[in-house]
Amino acid sequence: MRTVLKVKDITKIYSKGQKPSLDRVSFEVDEGEFIGIMGASGSGKTTLLNVLSTIDKATNGEVYINDVNLKSLNDTHSADFRRDNLGFIFQEYFLLDSLTIQENIAVPLTLQKLPPKKIESKIKSLAKRFGIDSQLGKYPNELSGGQRQRASAARAIVKNPSILFADEPTGALDSNSATELLHALSEANSELNTTILMVTHDPYAASFANRILIFKDGHIIQELHKTNKNRKIFYEQIVEEVSKLDTNR
Amino acid sequence: MNTFFMAIRNLQKNFSFYSLYLISVAFVITVFFAFTSFSVNTVMLEKISADGRVETMCTVISVFLMIFVLFYMTYSNRFFLRRRTKELGIYALMGYRKAAILSLFTFENILVCFGASLVGIICGAFAHKGIVFLISELLNLGIDNSQIQLFNLNAIIKSAGFVFVVIFILVISNSRFLYKTSLMNLVRYEKKAEKKMKFHKISAILGFAMMLVGYLLALNILTGSQSLWITIGFYQMGLLTMFIVVVGTVLFIASFLPFIIQMSKRKKAKFYTSTKIVTTPNFIYRIRSNAKTLIMLTLLSAGVLTISAVMAISLYYPIATVARIAPSEIEFRLENNIRMEDIENIISDYGFNNNDVSLLTTDIYKVKASADSLPIEYSLGASNDKKSNKVIREAGFECISFSQYKTLLEAQGKTKVLQELAPLNDDEVILMKYQPSDNTKEIGNQYTLNLNGLEKCVIVKEVSLNNAISFANSIGTLIVSDNLYLDIASTEQPFSTIVSLNGNSIKNNEDLYIALSNYLNDSPYLLGNSHRIKEIIFLSSSTFLLIGFLVVLFFIAVGSILYFNNISSVMESKSDYEILEKLGYTQKNLRKIIRKQILTFFSIPFLLGLIDCIFATMVYKTGLMQDLLENSLSQYIPVVIAIVITSIIYGIYYFVTVRACYKIALK
Ligand SMILES: Nc1ncnc2c1ncn2[C@@H]1O[C@H](COP(=O)(O)OP(=O)(O)OP(=O)(O)O)[C@@H](O)[C@H]1O
Ligand SMILES: [Mg+2]
Repeated sequence: MRTVLKVKDITKIYSKGQKPSLDRVSFEVDEGEFIGIMGASGSGKTTLLNVLSTIDKATNGEVYINDVNLKSLNDTHSADFRRDNLGFIFQEYFLLDSLTIQENIAVPLTLQKLPPKKIESKIKSLAKRFGIDSQLGKYPNELSGGQRQRASAARAIVKNPSILFADEPTGALDSNSATELLHALSEANSELNTTILMVTHDPYAASFANRILIFKDGHIIQELHKTNKNRKIFYEQIVEEVSKLDTNR
Repeated sequence: MNTFFMAIRNLQKNFSFYSLYLISVAFVITVFFAFTSFSVNTVMLEKISADGRVETMCTVISVFLMIFVLFYMTYSNRFFLRRRTKELGIYALMGYRKAAILSLFTFENILVCFGASLVGIICGAFAHKGIVFLISELLNLGIDNSQIQLFNLNAIIKSAGFVFVVIFILVISNSRFLYKTSLMNLVRYEKKAEKKMKFHKISAILGFAMMLVGYLLALNILTGSQSLWITIGFYQMGLLTMFIVVVGTVLFIASFLPFIIQMSKRKKAKFYTSTKIVTTPNFIYRIRSNAKTLIMLTLLSAGVLTISAVMAISLYYPIATVARIAPSEIEFRLENNIRMEDIENIISDYGFNNNDVSLLTTDIYKVKASADSLPIEYSLGASNDKKSNKVIREAGFECISFSQYKTLLEAQGKTKVLQELAPLNDDEVILMKYQPSDNTKEIGNQYTLNLNGLEKCVIVKEVSLNNAISFANSIGTLIVSDNLYLDIASTEQPFSTIVSLNGNSIKNNEDLYIALSNYLNDSPYLLGNSHRIKEIIFLSSSTFLLIGFLVVLFFIAVGSILYFNNISSVMESKSDYEILEKLGYTQKNLRKIIRKQILTFFSIPFLLGLIDCIFATMVYKTGLMQDLLENSLSQYIPVVIAIVITSIIYGIYYFVTVRACYKIALK
């Protein structure tokens, strides 16, 4: 299988004297993997995602996505790179308030200069998959939190990114909405072969992934693999590992 | 921590934000103080106002000014308050009483107004001095600048009193806002979803139609004597047209614009582009909440542009007509009691060598004529004329020889006219028109000149507006060939002799003019080109000065409202730009989006205002100004200049706003 993401010894120090938020982290991700990233608050998960997604720059080390070294990209190139390769879902929904849901999802496709017909048909089929096809004409503030989160997920997936980054996408959702979103994501992962990196605190959400990286103090301290196991069993394994970390409880 | 210190801390923290508010308020107070100083400056007023006209105007304008300052301050205060509602909500959540929050704001307001007043009074004092200096130089008033106080106590008291009234009103307005708004709304004010507005087709079409009708009504004035403006009345039509255009503008902005933009979304190939998909919905979203501001800006812009254009044209036009009213530098009629030697002595008394000064005497013969239709100039000012002046004129043509005409033009330096002048046959004449109405009408007409029984038939070869003798001394002038002129002279027609003085060294010499005027006993037949221009400038200067104050204020208002509005909208959508950047928009894309959004917001008031201005100026010029100049586009040069200057100022505002928005939205 092809490697889409290669991380080599990256370190991130926000300000001198501070201890590193990422400390020589290395790992690789193959095409079509669904990676969960877990760890205590402040352990460097968001920082990692920002560095991997060209939003921020690492202090040291190298990141390759589709064999492109992110260091070699200037501002314009990294914008084009995001346009062509990356998708984002964030804890806050990050939809544009003045655009309808349909228009919101269309934005990345207009950047790729697709013809309007194609844009609309893509949106329609994806909206159905995410269960928001009746909401397309509405504005974000007319939607529930879960619907918004699904809309922003649809916007991230619609352009078939090589990698989808999600930072606690279910953080603000009730378990039902969360489940819907996670199903939609894992469907996209299995059917469209989208590679996903998802940060989460929730073992249930993490159990949808097929590999889990656990962070502490800027290091990866453990990796869990699903390897053909049933999701429920994987969930229990994750709960167990996470509670081991929690020495205080 | 007490409220006072909190207010100071707040000001420090939000300094860049407040500095804007402070600067704009200081600006307004500068203008206010300069104006107030001017209106209590008795030294100055005595010089420029003979009949109390300027004082009345000062009072009127100061009322305007106060209303304006009040409006402006409440607008910007409310604006800054809205920007801070979230902060207010936090105070309220922490348990601050509304009274405590109000007193915090009052402290802040007092601090800002105090600072702004200080700056404004200092700047205003110098501005006032500068204005007085400029006027006194321009009009030669000979005012001793040291005689005028820099800080006039009276003006300071007036301004300070006014600022206190303003603060008081702001406190009332703030407390109304605070007590009216619920905690929920305070906390979520900024994010509050704008109510979805339906854009009614009918009001959209009505808006467009009304603007069209308004402009068509304005155009109607060009149809001449049958136009509604004459049959119904100028002021009635003016009010009606203005009403229709204003209502039309309101509907146009509130309904028509969003309506067509909504429609434009249907053109998918255009809409689904990376810029349009963001800017189009954004515009609709913004116009929902900002229609009122936009309408106000449009009307203000129309006001600024129209006033500047009308001001420019009403200063330029009379000055341009001086070239026809007083074509020579100095011209007078040689009457019986006047001796040329005295005139020559007066000229040399003022130290002019004669090789630069040309002194020409022209004999103008009055000739009776008959024809199917005689030109209006033939009997203009004669006793049977309805609009008879004090000076009653015998009807008749007034004849000048072709070569004398050429000599006069040469002396007046009208080389361009000379070049186009073709020689005359003995039966051809050039007719000097008074007004430029339908100039070709008389070409080819035949007149039979009656020279004591001898009849001479002449044909009008051309008509001209380039009279070389003033209208005061000759109307119905015919330029005849030299031979015909000799014939006329030999038949002893009644004649008058006109003296024309020209030359660079006597230009702008007021003393010479006065000396001649004394010698000629204030003769109504004495005219001076530079003298007349000076007179016009003197008479209109105070009006222009006072209106100038208003225009400057308008500019400050329009500019800062546009600036604030765009900044706040970009601040509100700052997160949008972050999202877009994450989606892969380059900085260049984002800049383009920001630029486009600001540009639409700037161009709507500017373009609509510009159209209003063009029509209003046209109506003003056609309806209210005397028509003496050839109707060429060059007359509109001052209007164009005024518009260009306005556009440049708008352009500067635009660039400043764009840069500030870049700084806010992008890293
Ligand atoms: N912009 C920044 N400037 C300085 N330090 C930062 C910045 N962002 C994060 N940090 C620090 O880096 C460390 C890792 O932060 P990060 O946001 O990656 O944590 P996280 O794992 O995402 O936590 P959470 O689960 O709470 O979101 C923290 O110690 C944080 O204080
Ligand atoms: Mg985080």
